[in-house]
Order: sequence, then structure tokens, then C-alpha cells
Amino acid sequence: MKTLFKKHISILTVFLIFACSSAYAQQSDYQIQQDFRAELSELLNRVELAVTAEELEEVSSEIDALQSEYSEHSEIINNALYPESFESTISSLREIRSTAYNNLSVIEQLNEQIDGLSAEMDEFRNRLTQMTQQTTSLQQQIERAEANERRQASLIRQYRQNIEQRDSFVSDFMQELLSKYHRMDASTQQEIAESVDRLDQNPLDMIRTIITEYIQIADQSPGLQTPDYVAMRAQHGYFMEVWNQIGERLTNTFAPDRPVQTRQEISDLLAAWLASVDNKLWDSMTTAFNQNGINLQPFITPDDFYTALNTFVDRAYEISLQSNNEADYEVFRNFRDFWNNTVKASWGEALITGNILTQAQIAAIDIKISDWGEAAQPTSNLMFILLLISIAVIILLVVLLIVRKK
Amino acid sequence: MKRKTIINLSVIFAVVMGTMACGTSLVIQDVDYSQPLESVLTPDADNRVHDQRYAIKFSIIPVLQEEGITSVDEIRVIRNRAGYYFITASGFSHVYVFEPDESVLKLKNKIEIAGEGLGQPAFNQRNTHIELVDMISGQSYNIDQNGRR
Repeated sequence: MKTLFKKHISILTVFLIFACSSAYAQQSDYQIQQDFRAELSELLNRVELAVTAEELEEVSSEIDALQSEYSEHSEIINNALYPESFESTISSLREIRSTAYNNLSVIEQLNEQIDGLSAEMDEFRNRLTQMTQQTTSLQQQIERAEANERRQASLIRQYRQNIEQRDSFVSDFMQELLSKYHRMDASTQQEIAESVDRLDQNPLDMIRTIITEYIQIADQSPGLQTPDYVAMRAQHGYFMEVWNQIGERLTNTFAPDRPVQTRQEISDLLAAWLASVDNKLWDSMTTAFNQNGINLQPFITPDDFYTALNTFVDRAYEISLQSNNEADYEVFRNFRDFWNNTVKASWGEALITGNILTQAQIAAIDIKISDWGEAAQPTSNLMFILLLISIAVIILLVVLLIVRKK
Repeated sequence: MKRKTIINLSVIFAVVMGTMACGTSLVIQDVDYSQPLESVLTPDADNRVHDQRYAIKFSIIPVLQEEGITSVDEIRVIRNRAGYYFITASGFSHVYVFEPDESVLKLKNKIEIAGEGLGQPAFNQRNTHIELVDMISGQSYNIDQNGRR
């Protein structure tokens, strides 16, 4: 039984081999090369139409299969493709696929980048909207709470915190833009520029929104004081610094059709923001100095402010040299305390960041204050009186000694 | 004297004729005319076919008349080593072997293959012969200009 079965298997195998070889014998050389051309064309077509890297990876393995399937007919195919050859055609197909794969990888990366950017922008926009709502709500509450001073003070504190949070959030955003776009190579910049239409909101839109909202805050903020405006100017200074570094790249990337105009628009907005802040800042600074008994000459620019400080200290120094009385010394102490405890301690860093005073200007004023302090020190007459008393005592003792001897 | 002149003239004539004969008998041996792949040609409205690759253009009307049919979708042509053209088509009962001459193809042989016509014929170039396969019936035939082998 087993032998019979083996016999059947052997016959079947022989039959199959015969059938296969006979099938091969019936092949048309013309058909073989036609089939090869058709499969080649189909693969080329798939390469052209591929939209994902995965599809092209599949094509790669199919090219391998095509090569191994037709390698035994390479001679026929060489004849058919002359002056091309089987090998050169396969190599060319691989090259086309590889180029397409690289292009597609770049496009996929770019898509990811654009999607990421889009998501970032959405997230940022949402957070900013939330903060703006909080700011508006706080502004309204502050206006309503005019009758209740304590409540208003608490609300102003919250409002101030809200602005600080916004500053910090915006600074992080600008820092991220800086790190992302400052060293971006030209090709990536070009690729993003080509896909910029896909973004609902791009970083330039965000920057416009941020500046516009800052202008509104500066114009409408109730209850804010000098430190707040100094901080706003510092924020403006930081913004300007980042914009100067990446503004050109951003406009070339996100406004490729009109980069110069867009740059100008944003520069104008930045100037308007500074004007709004300055409008409040110089008034509040003048008031702060006046409230502390320091009457500076009017100032509406950082240079004016520095001149006013110098003029005040120089004049006071001259007066102290002429008459160093206690009242002058009081003027000195008052200025020194306000300078050290308020101007330097509370506003100092922001004054520098906001381009109001430089470190060197602060140091120069410090030196002048020190000189003024020495000149203003009131001179004491006690030692002179003691000297006179001592001389009188000595004279008296001498007179007494002479009288006794006589 | 007359005889000597005749002999001299005969020698000169023989030399001239010999030289001329040498010039015309220059023959290149072992020319391989084989076309590696058959050409599958579609006749135009006038039943003319044009093989651009192997540079031949001719009318298939005489062959169609011989087969007793009016038209075919395509004809298959291959040239063997010896330089004979083999022509057939789907529905033909024969393979026609033509010998090229000055502006003509002269029938060398008409090889009968299938009484009721070939289903889907195809020529393959082989070293010593042409292989004709019928892709529908699965039959294959080895042929040359002299007939089936």
C-alpha cells in the first residue's frame, strides 16, 4: 500500500515537472518582455502616485521580486530594451523610487512640522484668549470695585499677576520662536514658506495679536503703577530683541509674498506698543518721584530721564558744597533711600531690560550720590567748643598757679 | 605574328576578366540576420505593416489572400539567422517564409501548421531554428526556411 502510494507521488511529481517545463516551453519571448515592461510600468506608476513612505517601501521589495523573477530572461529583455538593458532598467527604477522616497520623506517631515506648528499655534492662541478673558474680567471688576478700596487693591494685585503670567507666557513663546527660527537653514525655511497657506494662524499672526493685546493693556489698565509700566517696557525691550534676531526669517518664511511690508507692519505695531507704554510710564515715574519729594525736570524719553536725574543730583551736590546743613542732608537721605530702595531694588532690572537706563548710567548716578553724600554731611561745632573750653581751663589753671606763688 | 598577337590579347583579356571576377565574388560569410525577438505589427487601413525597429515595411494583402481572410489584428514577424522572414498571424494555418530581394519578399516556403488555424501564435528565436508556439493550444513547432523539423 505504502509502495503504491509512493509510486503515485513519484508519477505525480514527474507529471508536474513535465507540466511546468512544458508550460515554460510554451512561453513567448515577446510576451515575457511585454510582461516585464507592463510590470515595470506599473511599478513606475506606483512610485509616481505614492503618497506615503510605506508605499514606496513596498515598491522596493516588489522591485527585488521583479528582478529575481525576470533575471533568467535578462537576455530576452536586453534584446527588447536595447540600447537599455534589464539591469540598467532595474537600477533606474530603483533610483527613481529612492528619489521619490527621499522627496516623500522630506514632505512627510514637513507635514509633521506644519501640523506641529499648527497645534502649537492653536494651543498658544487658546491660552492667550483665556488670559485675555481673565484680564478683561479683572479690569471690569476693578472698575466696579471703586467703592471698596481693599477689594480693589486685591483685584489690582491679581490683575498684576495676570499680566506677569502673560509676560512670562509670551516670553516663553518668543524664546521658542527664537530657538526654532534663529538658526533655521534656508531650505527648511523655503519648504515651510511653500506650505504656509495650510496654517490657520502662523507665528506672525500670533505676534500681531500679542502686540495688539499689549497695546490694549497699556492703554486701558486701571490701577497700575510705575513698576508695572517699567515691566511692560522691559517686556517690549525683550520682544524687540527677539524680533530683531528672527523678524527677517519669520517674515521670509511666513509671509513669503510680502516680507518687507509685513516686517514694516510689525515694526509699526511695536512702535505703537512702546508709545502706549511710554505714555503711561513717564507720567507714573514723575508722580512716583514727586510723591517722594523729588522734583525732577520733565522727561518723556530715557535720555530725558537720565538728564533729569543728573541735573537733580548735580544741583543738590552744588548746594551741599555751599551750605551743608541738616536740611540739605535730609534732601540727600531722601533721594538716596528712594534711589536705592525703589528705583534700584524694585525697578532696576526692568529699567535695564526696558532700555530706560543702562547699568553704566545707574553706576554713574551711584558715584554722584556718593559724592553728594560726602558733601552734604553737616559739619559739627562740638570739637571747636571743646577746644575753646580746654584752652580756657588751661589759662585758668595757669592764672591760679601764678596767683598762689605770689 | 598574327597568332602571337591573338595569344597576347587572350592573356590580357583573361587577366582583366579574372580581376573583374575577383571583384564581384567578394563574400562575407556567417552573417547572422537573426532578430532576437519577434515583431508584433498592427496593419494600417491599407493592410500595410511597418516595423520601425528592424526597418521593414510591406503589405500583407498577398498573405491574407493566400490564407483566404480579409484582415487580422496583428501579424507576427521574425527573421532567422539565414535572413528569411517568417510571417504568421492568429487564424492562419500556415507560416510563410519569405526571402528578401530587391524591393520584394519572395515566398520561399509555406509551412502548414494547423488545419483549423493557429490560436495565438508566437515566434521565438532559437539557436538553430525558429520556435513557433501556439499559446492557446499549447503546441510548439520547430521550423526553418525548409519546413518543420
